[in-house]
Amino acid sequence: MQNSYLPQKAVIEDIIQESPDTKTFTLSLSGDKADSILKYKPGQFLMLSLPGYGEAPFTFASLPDPNGGFQISVRRIGALTKALHTLKIKAIVGVRGPYGNTFPLAKMKHKDLLFVAGGCGIAPLRSLIQYALKQRKAYGKIEIIYGCRTPKDRFYKEEMELWEKNKDTQTHLTVDEPDPTWHGERGVVCVLFPKIKLNPKTSFVFLCGPAIMIKFAIRDLLKLGFREENIYASLERHMQCGTGKCGHCYIKDKYVCRDGPNFSYSEMKQLEIES
Amino acid sequence: MKRLFIIKENLKILVKNLKKECDEFIAPKREHLDDIIFGDTKVDGGELLEYEGNSVISPRAFLLPQSEPLFEIKSARESDLVPIQDKKRRIFYGVRPCDIKALALMRRFFLDAVVDVPYQEKMEHSIFIALACNTLCSAEAFCCELDAGPVAQEGFDLQLVAGENGFLVDVGTKKGKHIVEGHKTLFTNAPARDAKQANALFKDMAKGCRRIDYKKVAQAMRDNKVAESVWDDIALRCVVCSGCTTLCPTCSCFRVVDRLSHGKGVRLRYCDGCPYAGFTRMAGDNAPLPLHKDHIRRFFEHKLNVDVARYGAPSCVGCARCIRTCPGNISIRKFIEAVAGQTKAE
Repeated sequence: MQNSYLPQKAVIEDIIQESPDTKTFTLSLSGDKADSILKYKPGQFLMLSLPGYGEAPFTFASLPDPNGGFQISVRRIGALTKALHTLKIKAIVGVRGPYGNTFPLAKMKHKDLLFVAGGCGIAPLRSLIQYALKQRKAYGKIEIIYGCRTPKDRFYKEEMELWEKNKDTQTHLTVDEPDPTWHGERGVVCVLFPKIKLNPKTSFVFLCGPAIMIKFAIRDLLKLGFREENIYASLERHMQCGTGKCGHCYIKDKYVCRDGPNFSYSEMKQLEIES
Repeated sequence: MKRLFIIKENLKILVKNLKKECDEFIAPKREHLDDIIFGDTKVDGGELLEYEGNSVISPRAFLLPQSEPLFEIKSARESDLVPIQDKKRRIFYGVRPCDIKALALMRRFFLDAVVDVPYQEKMEHSIFIALACNTLCSAEAFCCELDAGPVAQEGFDLQLVAGENGFLVDVGTKKGKHIVEGHKTLFTNAPARDAKQANALFKDMAKGCRRIDYKKVAQAMRDNKVAESVWDDIALRCVVCSGCTTLCPTCSCFRVVDRLSHGKGVRLRYCDGCPYAGFTRMAGDNAPLPLHKDHIRRFFEHKLNVDVARYGAPSCVGCARCIRTCPGNISIRKFIEAVAGQTKAE
């Protein structure tokens, strides 16, 4: 049996400066484990290594492309991510996965979908948004709410313009600190909730963002009548292994890495967590 | 289970023979400070065939060492990584029943769902010879309350039970049977008198043993029925020395780091401890559990609540190493008794 802690090589094919502190890396895989990694589902994550700097979990930020590649978005925040930001195209990194659960892909079919993202929390939701838009007719209305600190911190700008142009998909944006270029909404994501036109009783909601955003967004969504079993949050915890062994991420009897990272609010209530 | 007998002289011969059949013979020995610890005695000898009490550190240290390489980094730049295999044949001799049980709990955890290959490799090539206890190792120990002593029920390949003239031998597995068959002339059938004496002794030792309903204890913890003041008190006394998690034979949490020199090196995992503030902290200083009392609480929750929910039994074997080492005098036993008493009163 092969050592599950051993990463395989991935090559950086492209680097996009997403925001002042975040880069999106397109990685390609070869080797015998490439196929099993590329079978990942939206919401799952991988462990990314840079020997000498360690390893950390990163969510798949796109669907796999036909050339055997995929994207991850990396915010420069710790030693590993600082080192990743110095890498150039064709640099080699280590990856292993996919880990974690996906979103309720079967249950959400034919339903209205609401996505609520804050800051880099858009990354895990982007793969699900791409998944839903790829088979657009299989879903009802789609609304995307995205908030970030400043207009410069906004990710996936070009792709979001395409989402905005899509007539049957509504995108609402807000920033905490507008600059002179910004003419949109101002404030946290919750200020955009009055714009939601979906039926709260039947819609599925997907959230990802800072802990405080998740907590207050869920509170407001429940007030609007969204059902707790249909509200899903993608959670972040300290992880060292991705396989439920290192002991860092568990909450009660659940491992966030193995049983999550995507939990319904009903499940979160059982775990007595708000974010 | 078939019970055999081996006289002391023959046990010495068996140990001598077994040393030839393994790469490491891990047995209890006296260290320079007169403490008992486990060490490799294959070459230097010094193993104790019998001893009082238990080792300071459990034999866990040989299966999940304080630090161990997960793989070799041949070139950091190219991400050239090479697996490290550990196929050493290890024989663990004289392991106390509580530690045998702890090893079984750890094996269940590491082989559950995604198999931890470094651990599995070591277990596959290991043989465990248990040594039952004739006395309670300390006033704090409560192994019998957790079915972890004074005699092991399972999890050993062979178990020795000391008698007057030698040792009763329980054969637990095929590996154990293989040892007996390979050294047939050293064993005889167990004399009825010795077996009777041993059973009487164990019965006697278990006399004062209270039966605690661990499912009820877990339920009380799950229902948040342990008063906040209890957690406050524990937090006040915990100085985050990590003695409990270091000595606990069932603790298995680890952290991963790379050690490089000139672009080459290893990725290591080393034992980590939930009492540390950094244990749950993420990059960017985001901490889902910011309070010290939440950190140390994880130790108790994991062993007495979470693992009962996951596996149906607590992951504490009552060895009391954590109790004896704690500078703040925090006792998991007293904690259990307090919660159990509370559930009884209800």
